[in-house]
Amino acid sequence: MDFIFLVFSSFSLLADPVILTYVILGFVIGTIFAAIPGLTATLAMALLLPLTYTLNVETALMACASIYMAGMCGGSITATTINIPGAPSSMMTALDGYPMQQQGKGALALGHAALGSMFGGAVGALLLIAVAPFVAELSLLVKTTGKFSLLAFALIVVVIAQRGRIPQAGLAACIGLMLATVGLDAMEPVTRFTYGYSNLTAGIDLMPVIIGTFAIAEVLTQASSRADISAATAAASKVKIRRRDFIPPLSDIRKVGFGVYFKSCLIGYFVGTLPGAGGSMGSFLAYTETVRTSDDPESFGKGNPKGIAASESANNAVCGGAMVPMLTFGIPGDPITAIMLGVLVINGIQPGPQLMSDQAGLIAPMLAALLFSAVVLIPLTLWLIGPYFIKIVSVRKDVLYAVIALLAVVGSYVATYSTFQMFMALGMGVLAFYLRRNGFPVITMLLGYILGPNLEEFLRRSLALSNGDPTTFFTNPDSLFFVALTLVFVYFLVIRKPAKAPAAATSK
Amino acid sequence: MLLNRQLVFLYVTLAVSVGYLVTALSLGAPVAENGLTPAFFPILVGGAAIVFCSILILQALRASSEAKAAKSETKSDTGPATPEIRNYTHLWVVVAIFFYILGFKPLGYFLSSGLFVFALILLFSKFDKLLLKALISAAVVGTAYLMFQQLFGVRLPTLWG
Repeated sequence: MDFIFLVFSSFSLLADPVILTYVILGFVIGTIFAAIPGLTATLAMALLLPLTYTLNVETALMACASIYMAGMCGGSITATTINIPGAPSSMMTALDGYPMQQQGKGALALGHAALGSMFGGAVGALLLIAVAPFVAELSLLVKTTGKFSLLAFALIVVVIAQRGRIPQAGLAACIGLMLATVGLDAMEPVTRFTYGYSNLTAGIDLMPVIIGTFAIAEVLTQASSRADISAATAAASKVKIRRRDFIPPLSDIRKVGFGVYFKSCLIGYFVGTLPGAGGSMGSFLAYTETVRTSDDPESFGKGNPKGIAASESANNAVCGGAMVPMLTFGIPGDPITAIMLGVLVINGIQPGPQLMSDQAGLIAPMLAALLFSAVVLIPLTLWLIGPYFIKIVSVRKDVLYAVIALLAVVGSYVATYSTFQMFMALGMGVLAFYLRRNGFPVITMLLGYILGPNLEEFLRRSLALSNGDPTTFFTNPDSLFFVALTLVFVYFLVIRKPAKAPAAATSK
Repeated sequence: MLLNRQLVFLYVTLAVSVGYLVTALSLGAPVAENGLTPAFFPILVGGAAIVFCSILILQALRASSEAKAAKSETKSDTGPATPEIRNYTHLWVVVAIFFYILGFKPLGYFLSSGLFVFALILLFSKFDKLLLKALISAAVVGTAYLMFQQLFGVRLPTLWG
């Protein structure tokens, strides 16, 4: 209860013009990046990560929260108006949003998307605020062996969630774990894989890994693809959106029904708590469930607002869900929460069970910003600059990528003022580019890199405590719980046949 | 051709994984009297990476032979295939970033960044309107300088110290 009060009292921080400016700026930047096909809010956050060095940690986390929320709803703009989802999480929104646009109801579709995002974001944030303190208390019960099993569970789930490319995901996770073992050993004064190079003694820094993986790799991907954006630009120039058409009539909202919004929020929230699942899986499952339970399933894919509401409610509720494991166990659920974790680590804050009790004052403003972004910034941004957002697609790509490359390379210099980190970011960018090009999910590499040090430490400590007896992972109740949970996920994601996608989604 | 490139990537990854495992083995015995040593985890990870690499190489080889068989069947029907157009812009971007980092401190932020942004704009567009692109580069570099140095207090190298 104290934590909930702390979160709501943190709204007063938004009265500070500087903090409010950063939150609004974060939201606008997140929306712009999410709206441009090919760019993501993850990239925006990776580029802004170096700047968090100079901000205080509360402000940085609040800006991150607003970028995250914006990133989930910004993709619906291009998904609806020109049938090109700006972000993967808005893929399902395009199924019904674009047919509405073709029927001349594009602004209304955007209104439904904003309403769904607002509802999803708010419910996700409120659930997070209500649940996180209890999960944090429960997490204190998890001892060393349990912590190892939990981290192993997270890594295994991230790998097996990549259906159809599990060996690729497994190899990517191994590459991340390899990167994590470079440098001084955590328990003994032994350096590993430094090959006599002193710059590597402290290990590979998080900053170049994130900048390389998300920013430099993205620039290389765009450079290697001959994507013709003239069609998208031409389509965008034809779109005319009037502000007065944004507000969905009450009868439309009633038709969608509170049940669809709320059920989709819950699906999104719980999917968010799973490592590696992300907004696209949340919106896909919510959309599928809405089609399954609808009286008129044939109308989906032809401009049914229920489809938009389900997809957008779910992907924005993912934001709240994904923060639960990040804040309580230090396990990021997706790339954005991984970067948020980076902000904490850069500022010397160790995420984990103690975070919610010892540093609640730092976390509460971030959750307040998440809720504020959902309830205030989503509708306000759509209302004020919605009609112009579609023009973002026409931005000059040559200048855009040059700016991204400049910010990425100079940003990697900021951490240590050394060109070594810049070369490291370039190396990571090249690695991530080739991984992506060959169908390897880079999120599993990133999670391997982030979770690797703790995974190794807890494994060694657990076996040291049990005198080398590996059955300790099955005899300790907390560890056994996560082992059983891992087996349940393996059964549902690997052994049992996955649910089939709706015809409209698969044809897309 | 795509499969060959994928195979090359997998062979390189396998070689790196083997090298990693050999280095891990050279760290000493994985298990000692007082528990696991710093070598244990890297040996485990290196071994797992080699297993995953081997699976992927086998899958790629199988897919490659199936694709060849399918290609030889269709070749007689459709005639000679058109050669794939390759795009090497990403390699030039890597080269540009490499030289930018090399020149970042000796040349200072303005000169190195100006040349870098100009080069990247040219790589992502056509080789025309050079003056306009040079002016855009100067504006981008100046704005980024203001953002880093003035707004966020980051010290960037300059020729005047």
